[in-house]
Amino acid sequence: MLATLALASLLRHRARTALAILGVAVSAAMLLDMVMLSSGMRESFRGLLLSQGFQLRLSPKGTLPFDTEATIRSADSLVALIRARPAVAAVSPVLGGQLHFPTTGATVNATALGIEPAVQGDYELVDGRHPVAEGEVVANDALLRALGRSVGDTVRAAAGYDPQLRTLSGQRVLRVVGRVRFIYLAFEQRAAALPIGTLRAMNGPASADRASLAMVRLRPGADVARERVALERQLRTVTVISTVEAIKQVDERLSYFRQLAVILGAVSLVVGFLLVTTLVTVSVNERIGEITVMRAIGVRRWRVVAQILLESTAIMVVASPLGLALGLVTARWLNSILARFPGLPERIDFFLFQPSAAWTALGLLALSGILAGVYPSWRGASLPIATTMRQEAVG
Amino acid sequence: MRVRLPFILLVLPLGVLSAQSAPTSARGLPQDGPRSIAIDGRLAADAGLRVGDRVVVASEPGVAGDTVVIAGIVQRRADPAEIARGEYRVRLHLDHLQSLLGYGDRVDRFAVATRGGAATADAVSRINDAAYGFRAHRSADVAVETSRTFAVVSRFHRAIGVITIVASAIFLLCIMLLKVDERRRDVAALRLIGCSTRTIVGSVVLEAGAIAVLGSLAGVAVGGAASWIVNQHYQAVYRTPLRFSIVTADIVMLAVSLSLVLGIVAGWLAARRLVRTPPLALFGR
Repeated sequence: MLATLALASLLRHRARTALAILGVAVSAAMLLDMVMLSSGMRESFRGLLLSQGFQLRLSPKGTLPFDTEATIRSADSLVALIRARPAVAAVSPVLGGQLHFPTTGATVNATALGIEPAVQGDYELVDGRHPVAEGEVVANDALLRALGRSVGDTVRAAAGYDPQLRTLSGQRVLRVVGRVRFIYLAFEQRAAALPIGTLRAMNGPASADRASLAMVRLRPGADVARERVALERQLRTVTVISTVEAIKQVDERLSYFRQLAVILGAVSLVVGFLLVTTLVTVSVNERIGEITVMRAIGVRRWRVVAQILLESTAIMVVASPLGLALGLVTARWLNSILARFPGLPERIDFFLFQPSAAWTALGLLALSGILAGVYPSWRGASLPIATTMRQEAVG
Repeated sequence: MRVRLPFILLVLPLGVLSAQSAPTSARGLPQDGPRSIAIDGRLAADAGLRVGDRVVVASEPGVAGDTVVIAGIVQRRADPAEIARGEYRVRLHLDHLQSLLGYGDRVDRFAVATRGGAATADAVSRINDAAYGFRAHRSADVAVETSRTFAVVSRFHRAIGVITIVASAIFLLCIMLLKVDERRRDVAALRLIGCSTRTIVGSVVLEAGAIAVLGSLAGVAVGGAASWIVNQHYQAVYRTPLRFSIVTADIVMLAVSLSLVLGIVAGWLAARRLVRTPPLALFGR
């Protein structure tokens, strides 16, 4: 009975109800997007950092990994020290640099990563094999395209320029042995990975025994926080950051988006709430006579309240799935815009769908739907019966 | 006061010193006392440093480094590229930084002042013809490349703006429908006493326009206040003079015009619906 009356009331003004549902759907879409934005970026980054199982990262003291050109000295002995720790399962040293590939008429530049292939965690192999021997290299599609090379080809590369001799320095002929996808590099960033020894040799004495970063994988059950503190105490020249701290750093840098998400999410919720409140209030005002007659013939006050609350909740319930679907579409669109953020790893999703985000958005919408009906229902149920009937009769 | 800075990363282009912050000793002159440096306001505030303090700067932790005097404290420019970066900045004389880093006679980049547009193009082409291992770029091109982050953020803002406009259009249409619907009896009475549908539609549209203008003016006031709060908050958070939100005349014009158009369209649609309904039906009979 309650549901029938609420439905009849909503269907009486179809255009109005349809517009309200549409308005709430857009607000719901925005709300879902903002809930996804506020938590998705962090979760996506956490997933990215843990994708290869490395829980700790060591970078030169006072820096974040690859944030500057600073490198760690005596990297080999430092790696040996870390590997000797009982909680450590694997250590992957990485040296960052640049490679220059002279081609006819121009030079193609690319990011170079010197790695230990057996323990590397910077790329996923798509085709071919890892660069295990001196003079072998793997590259991503962007670089192979720019060079017009494929797996099995050789390519001439240099580590720098010597302006006085006007020649490329640290030249080598490298054999492309694999096609890879880099995990932490930006969209369309040209990159190659080669054994760390080869890159050091190409760079010359300045890079001898140096590394830009070392990633540490701990044994199952090891206490990450305790190991981080112990490593930082033992190794004075490096900063050791755990995934939690890395996420905190990223949170700080991208806090703008989180705050924007909170503000816009709140605004969306308020807009949806106001829309439903206005609509239900006007609807109650129009039906004052009807409500009073219902009360006069013995309909209890709580039933009047329940009917009006049901109307506002119904609008939210019908609009929510529509809004969630719309939200997923707009999230994809917005994500495609932010995916072009320079320097950001290609795999970071700003709008990561998680069931918890959808439930949060739905919960907030349902709550605001109920709250939106509180004022009009209270007003409808507390009308003085005799006076209202008289006023309605007189007009 | 003598402080040892554990490890200062020197990331600014070498030798770039602003007039008010230039360290006091001139480049190339023999140094009797310690060299001078300039530090940024954030570092000064966080480390409790003042002009005249002596600090030790080193390129890496564990290295002896040089004792230097803080000759100036500089405020960061209102540069959007710097806001998300929390690192401290230190400015040194070029030769001092080169020796500290073991950089030899190298620099990361030169800035070249030219005598105008044609001279710039000529200089770029001549430098690139003669250069090996480096390239000359026009400042405008560099600006385009380095502002890609803000181009992305700007596109994101525009996309959010489109969604907001759609939501407000629906909200406005809904409110106008309700507003006009509330006047069913008035409209019915006007129709019965002989007012033309044109007059009724005109009056409703006029009312809708007035509400839209008043609403958008109130919105401009709220937007101005919100913008002020946003600036106060983020300037404090990022310790920068950068203005994060600016309400310009163009934005106000766009908001008011959009709201006026939406209000008039919504009013016209709602009024047309009303005048097409027979007056007695509007009375509920």
